[in-house]
Amino acid sequence: MGRSAWTAGLMLAAMVGLAACGDGGPKADLPNPDPFPSTYEPYPSDAFSLVGATILTGTGERIENGVVTVSGGRIVRVGAADDVRQVQGITEVDAAGKVITPGVIDIHSHLGVYPSPSFDSTSDGNEATAPNTAGVWAENSVWPQDPGFTRALAGGVTSLQILPGSANLFGGRSVVLKNVPARTVQAMKFPGAPYGMKMACGENPKRVYGDQGGPSTRMGNMRGYREGFQAAKEYARGWTKYENNPEGDPPARDLANETIAGVLSGDVLLHMHCYRADEIAQILDLSKEYGFKVSAFHHAVEAYKVADLLAENDVCAAIWADWWGFKLEAYDATPANAALVVAQPGGCAVIHSDSELGIQRLNQEAAKAMADGARFGIDIEPEQAIAWITANPAKAMGILDETGTIEPGKMADLVVWDGDPFSVYTKAERVFIDGALMYDANDPAVSPRTDFELGQRGNGGTGGAGQ
Amino acid sequence: MIRTLLATAASASLLAAAAQAQTYAITNARALMTGTASSPADAEGVTIVVRRGRIEAMGPNVRIPSNAEVIDAAGGYVTPGLFAAVSALGLEEIGLNREGNDRSAEEDVGLSVSFDAADGFYEATTAIPVARAAGVTRAYVAPDPGDDLFGGCGMVVTLSGGDEPIVERCVAQTVSLGYAGAAREGDSRLAAMARLRRALADARAYQDDPDRYAETYEAGRLAAADAAALVPLLTGEQKMLAFVNGASDIKRVLAMAEEYGIDLVIYGAAEAHLVAEEIAAAGVPVVVDPVKNLPYQFEQLGATLEAPAILEAAGVTVAFYDDDIAYTHNLGLLTQLAGNAVANGMSYNGALSAITMGPARIWGQDDRFGLIGPGRTADLVVWDGDPLEVTSNPVAVFIDGEEMSLENRQKALTERYRDLTRGDRPFAYRD
Repeated sequence: MGRSAWTAGLMLAAMVGLAACGDGGPKADLPNPDPFPSTYEPYPSDAFSLVGATILTGTGERIENGVVTVSGGRIVRVGAADDVRQVQGITEVDAAGKVITPGVIDIHSHLGVYPSPSFDSTSDGNEATAPNTAGVWAENSVWPQDPGFTRALAGGVTSLQILPGSANLFGGRSVVLKNVPARTVQAMKFPGAPYGMKMACGENPKRVYGDQGGPSTRMGNMRGYREGFQAAKEYARGWTKYENNPEGDPPARDLANETIAGVLSGDVLLHMHCYRADEIAQILDLSKEYGFKVSAFHHAVEAYKVADLLAENDVCAAIWADWWGFKLEAYDATPANAALVVAQPGGCAVIHSDSELGIQRLNQEAAKAMADGARFGIDIEPEQAIAWITANPAKAMGILDETGTIEPGKMADLVVWDGDPFSVYTKAERVFIDGALMYDANDPAVSPRTDFELGQRGNGGTGGAGQ
Repeated sequence: MIRTLLATAASASLLAAAAQAQTYAITNARALMTGTASSPADAEGVTIVVRRGRIEAMGPNVRIPSNAEVIDAAGGYVTPGLFAAVSALGLEEIGLNREGNDRSAEEDVGLSVSFDAADGFYEATTAIPVARAAGVTRAYVAPDPGDDLFGGCGMVVTLSGGDEPIVERCVAQTVSLGYAGAAREGDSRLAAMARLRRALADARAYQDDPDRYAETYEAGRLAAADAAALVPLLTGEQKMLAFVNGASDIKRVLAMAEEYGIDLVIYGAAEAHLVAEEIAAAGVPVVVDPVKNLPYQFEQLGATLEAPAILEAAGVTVAFYDDDIAYTHNLGLLTQLAGNAVANGMSYNGALSAITMGPARIWGQDDRFGLIGPGRTADLVVWDGDPLEVTSNPVAVFIDGEEMSLENRQKALTERYRDLTRGDRPFAYRD
């Protein structure tokens, strides 16, 4: 893949807080790679153990009568209750009869950029003014007061990726958030999460730009991608040259090229909206032509037709359980899509929402996809299927080292379900983010309500999140 | 489910030839939605005898006819066929592409009152076999208001795939009110309601004297054909299916319906639970999306997952629909909607009724559909688990007493691509 020195240098500079590196000579005046830094801080939590629950760890393991211990906002141990000794100073919480999973992660959400209320004045998800808007950043559109965040929390969602829409070939940067209510988007940003870039195949870009100068065809789409990557490659070359020999003025900065160059260097993860199998195969070739990696194909309704190609290339298919027919490129759907993807050795399925309603019950969506696999003779256990909404999205979002499974050292992002999470009747009872209890279905005081809903008539419900 | 054939004559070829005449006995069934519409019950360990399209008998000790094909439900659930309360089934093969969507007219063609869903119904739609395999047997098909206040008249269809898909034509006229009405009438609720009243006044004038209506016609009034199309609302021959969400808008529509003597059904109805008592008193049924709990507009600020339970408690006839992904192509998700209603406080029978008896009652079909009982149409679904559970699926579906194929395009695609190894011929040669 060949990381370019200058973007790698940018990441290093960001990590150690330096504006530039070098020894003696003129210092390169490099762009700040993190102009809107995360100000998220975990909320306080005590050390506690959840005891007696069934635990689906997200790693494919199932532990009956298990214990998860949390301290300092991190998971410090997980195992069978018999094997774990009680530790002084750690509160024991009875979780018998419950099921504990990693916090749910949605890889494809437009919360905040297409919020409720859905007014023209809040429609901030598609910068549909040019086919390449890689220079826009979704976080600059996220409205933290979107009530959808609170509803998603009640569904167990602890982290989510907010993407720009799919009108453009290059839609712009995504942002990964922790689902913790905040006044600012910076205070929701997942610390250290890599950026993503949204691209789109097929119908949408050609529909939007067909009478606005193009692209108006799929071949026009592909030309647009190649021109975008070519320009970014040349742009990156200029910066590398400057960085190696920082004499004179730095190259002119271009935000679009900078983001695409991040994809070429591997620092920015590519999330490609692509329904059709034939287009997926062409994008995989494009990725080889320019030496980048696709992190996930989103809305890959036809992933099952090229499940072997996806597995060979180590690319996840981020899909719905059963959506179909809303557009022609979503016509060849099968509810066995996820099962057929994971039936390939090394296959990676992610169940995503792309919906402010679907995000509230991704557990049910995974349950349907699991059961539909069984209908076609592909048996998948709940401890495997849970990874579709936890570990696998974390992997494709570049945050698996920090969350997505229940393993010691990881963020204590946990959901305590009041029963089998693959049942329609089950609800998230308690949701922990970094060890802090952010939602309790039985305690209206532990349920966020956004500013927009405060003081309005009619918000009887359960008090905010679970409404 | 175990299947046995009692009758030796009932070989496979004969079965195919005489499908319509086949007699079935579904034994060892846990039948749901038995009893009466107002008080549905369960019946365990029963046999259901199906003959000549109808349920002939049901009970623990009924005699199984000697020529019956016996289907052992093995204690599993049997429900009435699911009934989609509002959909665009057959009006949109492809939702977002204009070539595949006839739900509404793109521009105001001036005649939408007299649109008839039957004129756009595509009976070969692939959405029917997909929905049928998920247990849906009947649907109400509504045209949408496009740029106009009115959508035209909708109809009840069967999902049997037979030659006569339409059960009843022109059952109700669709009308958009509240914000949806305002958006079509100068961005003002005032304008939308005034327009509706004027249209009803025109229909009344036409009803009184069609000749005089034509003679005194002036610009701005409904064209004669449209006025004529609204007359059945005034006579009660058709219902008004009004899309309306806000509590205050619902109250205005209730008052208007009373004033004109209109048989009203409301859908959308995000805040109906806030005026549940008034709705119950007016005897108006409500079609809601039980999981739509976000304030998309101010008129939906009260939207809550608890709405179905509150409406049920007030005695309102409730049915479920989804105006998004499950409006046409995923009608099988009605069970998931109902399951979520149960998870949020509605009774199990209330939620199951909202996807069976409720819609049947709303569309005047409750003498035939929506319940399991002797004499009723044999629309039945045998399930492999709790029908409202997301992991459950039908194992057998009957419409008009005939066992339906559960095959569909999705299954064919799955079979074609389940093995991706390169064969002797391309994938296109596989079944």
